[in-house]
Amino acid sequence: MKLNPTTPFALLLLFAAAPAFAQDEDAARLAIGVCAACHGPRGESVAPAFPRLAAQRAEYIESQLKSFRDRTRSDPMAQGYMWGMTSQLSDGTIAGLAEYYSKQKPVRNGQQGNPKLLQEGKTIYEQGIPATNVPACITCHGKDAEGSAVYPRLAGQHAPYLVKQIALFKSALRADPNAAVMHAISAGMSFEQAEAVAAYLASK
Amino acid sequence: MCMQKRRFLSLAVAFVAFAFWFGFPEKSHAVPSYARQTGMACEACHTVFPELTPFGRAFKLNGYLIDNLPQVQGITTSKEQALLLNQLPPLSLMFQASYTQTSKALPDSAATGTNAQNGQVLFPQQASLFYAGRIAPNMGAFIQITYDPVSGTVGWDNTDIRYANQVPAVTDGLTYGFTLNNNPTVQDVWNSTPAWQTPFDQRTSAAPMPAAATQIDQTLAGGVAGLTAYAWWKNSIYGEFGLYRSAPQGVGGSAGAGPLDSQSGGVISGYAPYWRLAYEKQWDQNSLMVGTYGLDVQLHPASDPTVRINVPLAGPTDHYRDIAFDAQYQFIGDEHLFSVQTTYIRENMWLDQSFALGFSSNPTDDLRTFRLGGTYYYQRKYGASLGYFSTTGSADAVRYGSGTAIFGSASGSPNSNGWIGELDYVPWQNVKFALQYTAYNKFNGASSNYDGLGRNASDNNTLYLLAWIAF
Repeated sequence: MKLNPTTPFALLLLFAAAPAFAQDEDAARLAIGVCAACHGPRGESVAPAFPRLAAQRAEYIESQLKSFRDRTRSDPMAQGYMWGMTSQLSDGTIAGLAEYYSKQKPVRNGQQGNPKLLQEGKTIYEQGIPATNVPACITCHGKDAEGSAVYPRLAGQHAPYLVKQIALFKSALRADPNAAVMHAISAGMSFEQAEAVAAYLASK
Repeated sequence: MCMQKRRFLSLAVAFVAFAFWFGFPEKSHAVPSYARQTGMACEACHTVFPELTPFGRAFKLNGYLIDNLPQVQGITTSKEQALLLNQLPPLSLMFQASYTQTSKALPDSAATGTNAQNGQVLFPQQASLFYAGRIAPNMGAFIQITYDPVSGTVGWDNTDIRYANQVPAVTDGLTYGFTLNNNPTVQDVWNSTPAWQTPFDQRTSAAPMPAAATQIDQTLAGGVAGLTAYAWWKNSIYGEFGLYRSAPQGVGGSAGAGPLDSQSGGVISGYAPYWRLAYEKQWDQNSLMVGTYGLDVQLHPASDPTVRINVPLAGPTDHYRDIAFDAQYQFIGDEHLFSVQTTYIRENMWLDQSFALGFSSNPTDDLRTFRLGGTYYYQRKYGASLGYFSTTGSADAVRYGSGTAIFGSASGSPNSNGWIGELDYVPWQNVKFALQYTAYNKFNGASSNYDGLGRNASDNNTLYLLAWIAF
């Protein structure tokens, strides 16, 4: 019987991919078994202290997990929780976790906030704050705040978490490699403006 | 001459009672072993030690397994994990020092008519070594060995060894496990059950405490071994069932480790079932749990040391049924923490053997314990708590009315109630200073002259200063 010439190649591909399949399974087990304690089984965390990860950009999750592992992201919650959680993660597992969360359905809060606050937030998101040189968030984070490449999804995130991150960027307590740009941006935002944008993003 | 001898005997019994009550295993919970194993700060799992956050509950129910230390590993030829040991053992130490003062000094134990020193320093109040963390791929342990200054000995304390695993195929995750432990409710993850109930968990060893307690309220601690099975679904619904059997420490003596017999005290006949159900809801920064738990024990009564009756392990037993309810609410904010815990335990006793032997006045008794407490912390650093406790039950002159000074009851009633207030300062996550005051409205059956020898409940009001470090 003549062997299909592509068969060995296909088999090779399958063997090469097998560790990746196993890794996906491992990552899912880890996400549901361990990360779920704070972030929820599908990344839909309940407590605002822990960010929602469902439908988050895979590139962003990967960069943050590596920042936790390298200890370059050093805000208080990072030190208290995530440094420990990531210290033994391999690059492969990190990739698997990023893939797992990016594939989850996004959480729609349906939050109804103060309409004036939501409108102000929308304006800042789409147009920035020219008076203090704050560029429009939309340029990096996307039309629907769904994120793009390594810029994270913000839509549906807990409002208190977003406000806290702005504060951490401002004070440079959060100093992961991608934070420099947010440090400059947040310098031009007041606490009330941060609350407005966060309320708008949480409602998406 | 006869009167003096009896008085001396009663004081000797009081002294034994003193040592007996105060020698109970102390509860302690802050375990830097877990911090070393997980790499996570205390605040991840604890609001302020010993109370657990929802993540801390998840960590415990998943077998103390979350581990971010380099491992010693072994696998089989079929790629199954055969060994998983932390390269660094998750050990930690706990040290407590305290100062205790009662409203009225305790009488001297030998020289009648004078008082003992009031204002006792215990250094340590307690010191413990913990091994706490993973011991095998799906098994974790909480093991505590404690030095007790009252007895001057090192003894085996709270132990919970468990197996845990998940069924990821079940929607929202199902965790199941088994625990082998030596104290009903030590395996529980809410701070509303007896083994870990805040804010009532830290009490001095150096002041009188009310005598009566239900079986499930730490009475069996350290003298039993239990195996329970549990399941936990959706971070929300918890169910557990298991059995306990007598496994006392320090038996055997010169004859070696022999089976329990008429010389042993308080032996459980057969196996005592234990159950626990809980439902927790989490939303925003809040969590609320309501639950029930209980224990059903057939007990051979303890021998009476003053009369020297050895109770054979045969025939009728005393039957205790404890049914309890509990609830816990927690708000965990960035700056403010607030929690409330409460429990109500109802015990029914059918004292067939005790009554027949003359160890109780009544063939049946009941006992009810209620505790409600709340704690507030600002920035996890400055805290205050307030709690109310109450035990009531049927009077039983023989059972409760020992007539001994300080620790006895003239009325034979187990009723006691009072308040605990505490101020806490936690400069670092693993160091706590507490100033606690306990006020008794009623003690061992009465507010005034409860022991028949002139001591009032309020004489036992206790000021307690505690320094507690874990590292």
